[in-house]
Amino acid sequence: MNSAAALVPAIEVEGVARSFGDVHAVRDASFTVQPGSVTALIGPNGSGKTTLLLMLATLLRPDAGTIRIAGHDPVADPRAVRQAMGWMPDVLGSWGSVSVRRTLEITGRLYELGTEAARSRAQQLIELVGLDALADQPTRVLSRGQKQRLSLARALVHEPRVLLLDEPASGLDPAARVDLRVLVRRLAGEGVAVLVSSHVLAELDEMADAAVYLDRGATASAERVEQSRAQVRDWRVRALDPAALMTALTQLGVTAGATDHLGTLVPVAGEQEAAALLARLVGAGVGIVDFGPAVGDLEHTFLDLARGSDAPAGAADPAPASTEGSER
Amino acid sequence: MNRYVDTLGTIVRLELQQRIRSTAWVVLVSVVFVLVGVVTALLWASLAAFGTAARDSAGVYSTIIFFVLLVGTLVTPAISGAAINGDREAGTLATTQVTLASASQIVLGKFLAAWTVALTFLVASLPALLFTLIAGGVRGDTLAASLGVLVLELGVVAAVGVGLSGLISRPLFSVVTTYLVVAALSIGTLIAFTLGGLAVQTQTTQTTIGIDYSVGGEFDPNTGLPEEIVCLEPMSYTYTTPRFDRVWGILAANPYIVLADAAPTTFDRNGYPQDLFGQIALGVRTAQLPVESESVIDECAAAKAGDPMLGYGFETPEQVFERTVPSWFVGLVIHLVLAAAALAGAIARTRTPAGSLPTGSRIA
Repeated sequence: MNSAAALVPAIEVEGVARSFGDVHAVRDASFTVQPGSVTALIGPNGSGKTTLLLMLATLLRPDAGTIRIAGHDPVADPRAVRQAMGWMPDVLGSWGSVSVRRTLEITGRLYELGTEAARSRAQQLIELVGLDALADQPTRVLSRGQKQRLSLARALVHEPRVLLLDEPASGLDPAARVDLRVLVRRLAGEGVAVLVSSHVLAELDEMADAAVYLDRGATASAERVEQSRAQVRDWRVRALDPAALMTALTQLGVTAGATDHLGTLVPVAGEQEAAALLARLVGAGVGIVDFGPAVGDLEHTFLDLARGSDAPAGAADPAPASTEGSER
Repeated sequence: MNRYVDTLGTIVRLELQQRIRSTAWVVLVSVVFVLVGVVTALLWASLAAFGTAARDSAGVYSTIIFFVLLVGTLVTPAISGAAINGDREAGTLATTQVTLASASQIVLGKFLAAWTVALTFLVASLPALLFTLIAGGVRGDTLAASLGVLVLELGVVAAVGVGLSGLISRPLFSVVTTYLVVAALSIGTLIAFTLGGLAVQTQTTQTTIGIDYSVGGEFDPNTGLPEEIVCLEPMSYTYTTPRFDRVWGILAANPYIVLADAAPTTFDRNGYPQDLFGQIALGVRTAQLPVESESVIDECAAAKAGDPMLGYGFETPEQVFERTVPSWFVGLVIHLVLAAAALAGAIARTRTPAGSLPTGSRIA
């Protein structure tokens, strides 16, 4: 990644709005994504994530605002944007009677690669996403997760500098999710700017460098995000002896929340206070085996923003269990 | 330009691979192959029963061409009518749109693929056509004109289908609309022509001057006329006549008539068309003949001149052809304009970034 590329944001969105008749899908979205970074696009169902991605992918014209992808305007010069951008849609469409290999070759040809180049790129991508065994099968036999991988490979055919992933992890098994995470981080390491929308927030926590929160069509301002992050939140504490932990907490004057088989929830304001609490608990001789935020950073902010905007939709979407699962 | 054609070719190949479900397609084409074979054999046998010459294979040839047009226009809407909106529903249109393929390449590629598929029906009937050609009697210019128009007409149906699939968001609705367009051109024009002609009627007066057979002495055994020809008093009567000559232009838009009228007509010794093209073309040509408000049939004067039948002013089909105008190019131009408009509309509608979306459709 050279320094000139780093100066120009890979994605620049300023005051973008788009409505369908009376439905204001996106009202006011502004954010930037730097080359070599992974940015999470987070928001409840119907908050306009897909509409926003469609505008970035040159498929939909914004009603207002400006978009720059790799320095190009998708409305004025969609061809230049398409050359630089790969898009993985949330809808898993594939040419049912065409084989996986042919699908990637055809996509390569549509990106104006030569026949030979398209063929070798297809082979590379098949290996990259692990579809070797199914390479010559028609795509209609693929499972949801396999189609998801094909869709990702298709977005990478022309080695884009900007990658837009709409719900890339849905339908993937845990191993494939890890593969996806590793791949996305590797691409970012090579200088690709990645924008990922997902509901699996714990997943994004480990993948993303930055986050854009979209609520009812508007991106949350940096101040609001900061405010939410700083709010008192639950940390989960698990000790060898739960009774000793409860006693210690009471002595320290901390009101403990619910206790379940995973531990006790303790409200803590910020990481400073968390560190201090841990030190005091350890000092009190409690055998702590697990001490961490009850929910991931993104999820906490997401839930807080959703609550703050009193939007009931989608607030309970990510199951807490999935948070735990991915931390292992 | 080269790059444009390259991507266009990729889209065409993809469409052919994606749409021609191998087994179903082979079955369908085989059915057409067998059907055309059976029709050819039956026609050939029936002509032999009439004891007509081998040159009547022109009749068989023209019938097969019409049959292929019928089958082609019945199947092509199903192939082409969901080309674009079907992809949109399956979620494969947007993934093509984000590549470097432009809207015109996507739409034209789909159109060329649908056209190619429609032409496989013509290929399936080639053996039968070859048979009639070998049997002789089909003129080169008739062959070129009829095949050319058939190929173009199948292209028009393919273009209308693909165009409507881009303009209408629901696949079922666009397929049905394509069928309705085909029906409107094939049958609707006939209905409009018939009803239009009947609705516009005019009064015509016909005066007949006959021969008085009760006087004039012996009949000549050769001519059947009296020795001395005495005329009757002129008799006039008035009736209303449909004015098909005012509405014949509607028929110009009928694909079957375009095909028939475009093929050069050959006549036999008596001035009658030798193939089905000529017979159908005769229909549209006859409809052009103007209706005279006053007409006189002077049988008596004609008899004095030698033959009373001349008084009826009878014309052979060949004479009708000579004094009427061909209309096929008008019809063909109408069809080509319709096809081009449908494709242009679909290209405009498929262009991204999209301003407005077809109602109720998701873009991806």
